[in-house]
Amino acid sequence: MLELYHWEPNTFSLKPLIVLHEKGLEYMSHYVDFLSLEQYTLPVTSALEVRHNPEGEGPILVDKNVPMTESFFIGLYLDEAYPAKPLRRGNAYARWRTLMWARFVNEVLAPAVSTLGCSKYLAPALARRDKVALAKTIERMPTKEQRDGWLAALNNTYSDDLIADSHRKVGLAVKKVEDALAENDWLAGEGFSLADIDVFSLLASVPDLSPEALNARVAPRTFAWLEHIKSRPAVKAAFATSKTGKPLEAFTPGPEHSRWG
Amino acid sequence: MLTLYHWEPNANSGKPMLALAEKGVAFKSHYLDLLNFDQHSPDYLKINPNGTIPALVHDDLVLTESTAIMEYVDEAFQGPKLMPEDPVERWRVRWWMRFFDQYFAPSLSMIGWSVFVGPSVRDRDPAALKAAIDRIPLKERRIAWSKAIYNTFSPEELEESRRRVGVGINCLEQALSQRTWLAGDTYSLGDINGFNLGYALPLAQPQLCNDEKTPHIMRWLRAIYARPAAKATWALGRTQMAQRIKFLEGQS
Repeated sequence: MLELYHWEPNTFSLKPLIVLHEKGLEYMSHYVDFLSLEQYTLPVTSALEVRHNPEGEGPILVDKNVPMTESFFIGLYLDEAYPAKPLRRGNAYARWRTLMWARFVNEVLAPAVSTLGCSKYLAPALARRDKVALAKTIERMPTKEQRDGWLAALNNTYSDDLIADSHRKVGLAVKKVEDALAENDWLAGEGFSLADIDVFSLLASVPDLSPEALNARVAPRTFAWLEHIKSRPAVKAAFATSKTGKPLEAFTPGPEHSRWG
Repeated sequence: MLTLYHWEPNANSGKPMLALAEKGVAFKSHYLDLLNFDQHSPDYLKINPNGTIPALVHDDLVLTESTAIMEYVDEAFQGPKLMPEDPVERWRVRWWMRFFDQYFAPSLSMIGWSVFVGPSVRDRDPAALKAAIDRIPLKERRIAWSKAIYNTFSPEELEESRRRVGVGINCLEQALSQRTWLAGDTYSLGDINGFNLGYALPLAQPQLCNDEKTPHIMRWLRAIYARPAAKATWALGRTQMAQRIKFLEGQS
């Protein structure tokens, strides 16, 4: 039986939930409250690929006793291990395009959305909690990257420059999606695919986080594409796993902004 | 028709070079001198408007981003498969390539640019250098070249990169102590990616990477360098940089 450790259906946790429901795969859901830092107490967190996940905190899929991280690669794994109802069709070039979307999302969009989401929702949520207890928990996190990410949220140290750069990056992503949708109904060309799931999961909260970059007027195709994907039964089922009723307000520090090059 | 635009067999350029050599796929080599800013020339920007190396032109298709190019090469051409059959191992190849590309390699690269790339170009005509920086299309690359040319790396960011290189080496040693190759029992794109990142580590980071401290990394580097495809690929190098691979010869 597939097991998925995940939080609220937004950003990284949302991706494998959509993939599982689109493919009609049965799975055991382990809902983990990332806001309470429960993800640091799981039995599967000792694996190297969990501790050093470049995505920061994200979902963990366990299949054949192997804990797998990195939400896009979990989706690729599910599509390759369970080939019925494929979500990545076409020739080698179409498949390369899917990888290019994932790369762009990982490097540019995901850090920007995480910063904007943490600044707007995570930092205020942490401010309502016991700061001393949180700081102690953060101190025990296994990597410096994780500690730094959570300390930034705890102390709300997002600079104006970082926020402005995050809006810039979100704008680049929206333009890229808008241009792609002028050519095709879907991002990788060959029907609804892992590329659409990858980008949708990161953009779903952007009309709220960066309303000037993504609204029905400045990016009509992207806005309509978001609404269209939201109406898919599998996507509705993924959102229905929410326990807070506000999945698009759930953020963790996420992957870092690129330090070099 | 297949043309690869690349620099030295090293880091990003070396990844598709070695993958093509392992597959036995013939290609036209178009060498771009990174230190002469060939990658920002108008002719090359027509091929890849981002001005990054490498790029693969296959008939009328242009492919960029070295790791994604490698997966394309493996799928589009005949020859030995460079991705494992087992989906878990395929996941592991991809996880490690992302760890290399977004964590380990950028830190190693920052150090390399501060000690090698910057000093190699810094003494040229200041006006020409400024014009060269202004021509770079991507903001991130403009920042990287400015830091290298004007040597404005902060001690903190270099120290942080050194720390990350240490973390990366430890993680790699741990993985290779559990498996023959990075992802399992078969040589894969993950090993090709990692070799391009790590072939000079024993020379550049001798305190962190050596036979005593990281025997599994050393065993793995030598096993890859023993492959004819690696020998043929590094023979295409034109600078001292590629010669660093000779350190793997005749030891232990």
